[in-house]
Amino acid sequence: MLEKKYKGLLISDFTIDNLAGLLNNDDELPIVETSTIPFGQVMPVLLDENHQCWRKKYDFALVWTRPQAVIKQFEDFLCYKKINIEEMLKQVDEYCSALSNLSQRVRFCFVPSWVIPLYHRGFGMLETKPSIGLTNILMQINLRLFENVSHLPNIYTLDAQRWVALVGKKAFNPKLWYMGKIAFSNEVFIEAVKDIKASIRGLTGQAKKLIIVDLDDTLWGGIVGDDGWENLRLGGHDYIGEAYVDFQRALKSLTNRGILLGIVSKNEEKIALEAIEKHPEMVLKLDDFAGWKINWNDKAQNIVELVAELNLGLQSVCFLDDNPVERARIREALPEVFVPELPQDKTLYASTLLNLRCFDKPSLSSEDFIRTQMYISERKRKDLQKKIGSVSDWLKTLDIKVKIEPLKTSNLERVIQLLNKTNQMNLTTRRMTETELLEWVRQKKRKIWTLRVLDKFGDYGLTGILSVEINGNKGRIVDFVLSCRVMGRKVEETMVNIAYKYAKSAGVDELYAKYIPTKKNKPCFDFWKKSGFTYNEDTNIFFWDMKKNYPLPDCVKVELND
Amino acid sequence: MAEREKIIKIIFDVIDELNRQLAKEQRLKKSLETVLVGENGNLDSLGLVNFIVALEEKIEDQFKTTIILFDDPLVLSENSPLRTIGTLADYISKKLEKS
Repeated sequence: MLEKKYKGLLISDFTIDNLAGLLNNDDELPIVETSTIPFGQVMPVLLDENHQCWRKKYDFALVWTRPQAVIKQFEDFLCYKKINIEEMLKQVDEYCSALSNLSQRVRFCFVPSWVIPLYHRGFGMLETKPSIGLTNILMQINLRLFENVSHLPNIYTLDAQRWVALVGKKAFNPKLWYMGKIAFSNEVFIEAVKDIKASIRGLTGQAKKLIIVDLDDTLWGGIVGDDGWENLRLGGHDYIGEAYVDFQRALKSLTNRGILLGIVSKNEEKIALEAIEKHPEMVLKLDDFAGWKINWNDKAQNIVELVAELNLGLQSVCFLDDNPVERARIREALPEVFVPELPQDKTLYASTLLNLRCFDKPSLSSEDFIRTQMYISERKRKDLQKKIGSVSDWLKTLDIKVKIEPLKTSNLERVIQLLNKTNQMNLTTRRMTETELLEWVRQKKRKIWTLRVLDKFGDYGLTGILSVEINGNKGRIVDFVLSCRVMGRKVEETMVNIAYKYAKSAGVDELYAKYIPTKKNKPCFDFWKKSGFTYNEDTNIFFWDMKKNYPLPDCVKVELND
Repeated sequence: MAEREKIIKIIFDVIDELNRQLAKEQRLKKSLETVLVGENGNLDSLGLVNFIVALEEKIEDQFKTTIILFDDPLVLSENSPLRTIGTLADYISKKLEKS
């Protein structure tokens, strides 16, 4: 996904060529190629789908305006004229209505929030007073913008206030404005580039899901094997100890939004785990970690093994290590793993972590908040499997239930998330926006189901998507998507059984699935090869003769809520 | 003389910044002979604005003096001191001596 070049259109009421140039030249993935619209054409471009700018196809658009250029009441307010706040908010609604046109024209659209130059002191001490201060009014129109945009598919607001705050006084240069109608300094545009790219990565399923941390001098000060856990620098009346505690708190806070933690450390496992369990200032406990590899083996190899155990890909990983040599080693050995630079100064660890852009995602589902718990449950399942031995016996002990539900508003976000980030068990790797999926499903003779998988250890969450299209006397399985956390639990066979039953009710003679190979979905091919379907190597199609029954696996119970 | 070297370094720093937003074929070479404006000039109008503003800012930071390059009618003439990096460095050096 990141190898693709993304084409973008920059729509602005000010000269935005500097941002275009910085975006086009920026090496960080994804690579983008942007164009700008002619000066003074914001509203025509938004409103007219036949505008010459739309002759080319774009993956994304960025609509960056000054509030006074698109909200007439705000322009008046900047001159301290009396205004009507309700009328101003109505104008914001109208502007958002114009923005909504972009949902149909591009895959995603970014709208930076409105800012005004910092030298605008406005009413001074009255600035935050409701309906009086510039600051207050600006907040109100931004909040209205955020709320309206949150209901628009594929459109996302970005925090331009943050870019300006990061740059400070140099954010605005009046000379640039008067000489070239350039509203912001390049330092602001550089921050914008980073956030735009992070957003595209998030939207294309490239957000990092797992942080792997080292232990010594990363999670605590000192070497636990030499110093003993009692003498580690962690917490206490010690500013460095406190910095480490805050770093652990920051890591833990990220687990609350669905980012997993793992450990890869060169240590005696027993000694390291004892430190985690016994040190009174440890914020992170063993149950905060989805897994660990603590031994004297090569860290790169350990990372590969840990990631495989967690059924993730290396591209999901962010690796944190205080040692620049280890960081360089991992960057070289595992280029898919993101290895940010960590400062030498430990007091900057927490802020560095919280400033990372690699976890940006376009939405959060309820599953994000319980992801760590899901992985702990998975550890317990694996422990049980080791005891039982045979996979089929083990599966029977799990009491697997699959709940089938239709696509609905409450699960749409999760479905889009799953559709766009699942690689391994994905038959056709269709990537769709909400609008595109809803449009597809609306057509007759198409059906989509979502699958929630549970067992006696817990709820895996909404982890499967199945869609079938009926064409004449044939049924085609279009989407066959399953999260890797439930692969190999007979859910795949259950999905085929559901497709079979639907095809049977539609009276077709044949059910088929066309496999579209990618670099990552060989596990899907391997499943279909064992599925019992007949395979045509020339067309990559798997066929099932509907005269034969496709059974439901006996270790799975299905609950249909159709 | 040392001051001229500092000025040239500042100009080259500005070019580095400017090149970050220019397409490969438009990027400026860091050489005293590089032509900025006029015939075969490498800067378009937007590039010139970015260049001048950044340069004036850096000169102010380094020498604690404000110089305004576009104020002087000479700048827009045929014999503009903005013609090449070398002529620009000489011009700024003279301006700083006078201030």
